[in-house]
Amino acid sequence: MVSRLGILTYVALAVRNLIRNRRRTTITLLTMMFGIATLTLLSALNDGWLSQMKTNFILSFTGHLQIHAKGFEASQNLRDNIADPDAISRYMDTYPEIIGWTQRIRTSGLASVSGSSTGVQIMATDPEQETWVTSMDQNVKTGVWLRPGMNKDLLLGKTVAQNLGAKLSDRVILMTQRPSGEMISEVYYLRGIIETGAPQIDRTLALISLDGAQQWLQMQQAVTDIVIRADHHDQTDTLYRLFVQQLSEQVYEIMPWQELDPMVRQWLEFSDAYGLIILFVVILLVLTEILNTMLISLHERQKELGVMIAIGTQPHRIFLMLLFEAVLLIFVGAVLGYLIALLVVMLLADSGIDLTDYANAFEFFYMDPVIHPQLTRDSALKILLATLVAALLAGIYPAWKATRLSVSQALRIQ
Amino acid sequence: MLEDNQSTIIQIQDLHKCYWVGTMPYPALNGIDLEIHKGEFVVLAGRSGSGKSTLLNIAGGLESADRGEARILGEDILKMGNSQRTGFRLANIGFVFQAYNLIRVLSARENVAYVCQLQGKSKQESLEIANHWLHEVEIGHLGYRRPDQLSGGQQQRVAVARALATEPKIILADEPTANLDSTTGRHLIELMQRLNQSLGTTFLISSHDPDVKQAASRLIKLSDGFIVNSWDEETKPPVSLAVTCPIRNRPFGERLRHFFKPHRTADQQKKQGTSRHS
Repeated sequence: MVSRLGILTYVALAVRNLIRNRRRTTITLLTMMFGIATLTLLSALNDGWLSQMKTNFILSFTGHLQIHAKGFEASQNLRDNIADPDAISRYMDTYPEIIGWTQRIRTSGLASVSGSSTGVQIMATDPEQETWVTSMDQNVKTGVWLRPGMNKDLLLGKTVAQNLGAKLSDRVILMTQRPSGEMISEVYYLRGIIETGAPQIDRTLALISLDGAQQWLQMQQAVTDIVIRADHHDQTDTLYRLFVQQLSEQVYEIMPWQELDPMVRQWLEFSDAYGLIILFVVILLVLTEILNTMLISLHERQKELGVMIAIGTQPHRIFLMLLFEAVLLIFVGAVLGYLIALLVVMLLADSGIDLTDYANAFEFFYMDPVIHPQLTRDSALKILLATLVAALLAGIYPAWKATRLSVSQALRIQ
Repeated sequence: MLEDNQSTIIQIQDLHKCYWVGTMPYPALNGIDLEIHKGEFVVLAGRSGSGKSTLLNIAGGLESADRGEARILGEDILKMGNSQRTGFRLANIGFVFQAYNLIRVLSARENVAYVCQLQGKSKQESLEIANHWLHEVEIGHLGYRRPDQLSGGQQQRVAVARALATEPKIILADEPTANLDSTTGRHLIELMQRLNQSLGTTFLISSHDPDVKQAASRLIKLSDGFIVNSWDEETKPPVSLAVTCPIRNRPFGERLRHFFKPHRTADQQKKQGTSRHS
C-alpha cells in the first residue's frame, strides 16, 4: 500500500501546525530572525574589515604577488637580484588578471639629516608604474609624489621624517651597500612625506626612483622585486599558479601577499576562526531555541501523533512531518533574518560604522577606522549551511522521539 | 451468530497483560479467550479498570501482550513488527476513540480523506470518499469545518466516517459515547448499528453505557481482566493474585530489586501494597 500523501500535504500540515500556536511560533521566529540577522551582520562586519585589511595591506606596499630572485626575501641582499627583468615583464600583458605591475629595488640603509640618522628600508620604484600597483602616491600627505626623470627626489615615511626632523626640500643623505659590498652614499632632496597607515612602513620607508637607484647602485637593469597587482584578491592564486608554471623555481621565488607578512596572514586566519566561533555560538543558541520549541510542541501533540499512528500513519511519515516543521520554521526565520541583515548592510555599505575613536587600536592591522560591512558569498553559504544543519539537528531528535511514541500511552493522555 | 470457522474475524487465546504502576504490578488481562465473527456487533462491558480498553488496544495492535495470541483476520497481530502492524491497521481496522481524536489542523473532510490518502488513493478520490461518508453519517454539510468548530456528537460522527472510509473489516470503538449526551450517544449507536447491518462491518465496542449494551448482538462482560458470564460480582471467578507480571515488563528499579531479593508473587505484593496504603 503506497501512501499518496505527498510533500505538499506535509507542507500544509507543518504550516497549519505552526499557525495553530501563533504566539509560540511568532516568538520562535523572532528568535530565529534575531539570531540569523545578528550572525549575518557580524559576518558582514568581519568580512568588511577583513576585506579592507587585505586591500590596505596589498595596496599600501606588497601588491598581490611578488617575484624575486631565489633567496632574496630571506637574505635581503642585493646580490640576489633579477638581472633581466624584461624576461619576466613580457608575461605581464599576457595575463588579463594583471592590472598593474612595477619593478623595485629594496635594500636596507641609513638616512641622515643634519647630524641625526636612522635606519631605513630604501625602496626604489618606477614612479608611473608604481601608481598602477599600490596607493602609495595617494598616501603622500605632504609634498609630491616621485617625479619621472627626477632622480634625486626622495619620499620618507611619516615616522622616519619625524625621527630625523626632516622637512620638505631638506637634503637627506642615504647610505647603503652596492651588490659588490661597497659602501656608498648619495644626497637626495625630500619631496614628500608618506603616511600609509601601516606603522612598520611609515617607520622605515625611504622611497626613490628606480632609474636613479640603478645607476647609483650600479645594477644596470637589475631589480630585486617585480610586484604585480591582480584585478581581484581571489585571482592571486591563479596568477601564482601561472607564474610557477612559467618561471623556474631554481631561479625565482614567487610569493603571494599572504607569505610576505606572516603576521597579517595569522591575523586573517584568526579572524576567520573568530567568525567560525561566532557562527557556532549563534547557531547553537538558535538550535537550542528550536529544539525547545519542537520538544514542547511534541509534548503537546503526543496524543494527536498517537492517533495518527493508530489510524495508519507509518512512524517514518510522522518523522518526516516533524522534521519538515522544524526545517520550515528555521528556514522562514533564517530568510527573514537574512533579509533584515541585508537591508542593514545595504544601509551601512556607504557610510560604514565609524570607529574613529578607536582608530589607534586598528592602525597596526591595516584597518580603516570606518568599517564597511560586506556580505560575501562564502559567508552567506556558511550561514546557509550552518542553518540547514541546525534545522536538521533541531528537528531530528523530536522527530525521532515521536516515532518511539507508545501509541496506547499517547491515547490515554487526557 | 455465524458458526462457520471461516467467518472468525478476531480470535484471542490465553491473552495476558500486566501493567506496572510504580512498583505495583497490575494484571489487566488474565488469560482472555475470545472469538468474534464477521458482522457481529459486540460490546465489551465492564467497570473502569476491568481490561476493556487494554483488550481493544491489543486487538487493534496498539499495544503488545505479555502472553497469548491475538489473531485478527487469521494473522497474529502480536507477532508483527511496528511498521507491519501500522499497515495492517490501515488496511483492516477502523478506530473510534472516546475523545474523538481528530487531527485538529484538518477539516472534517480532510480528516476522513487523510486515511484514504494513506491507503494510496489520490487526493481527489479521497475527498470524494470523504464526502460520501460524511453524508452517510449525516454531517455532509459540515465537511469544511475544523474539529474545534464541531460539537462533540458531530466530531464523533466524523471519527466514525474516518473509521469507515478505509472500508475496514473491523471497527474498534473505545467508549464512543462516553463524552456525548444521552440523545447524541443514542443517535451515534443507531448510526453504528445501521452501518453494521448495511455494510456487514464487524464492530467491537467497549462501553459501560446501557444504551450501547442494549444495542449489542453479543455482550461480553469483563471484570478484573477476566471474561465473566454474568454481571453479578459473586459469580465471577476469583481473581488470581498468584498471577505474576513478567519480569521483562517491570520498571528497571523493580527488576533490580527482584534480582537481589527473594521472589514475591503478585499476591504478596498486592497485600504488601494494600497494607502500606492502608
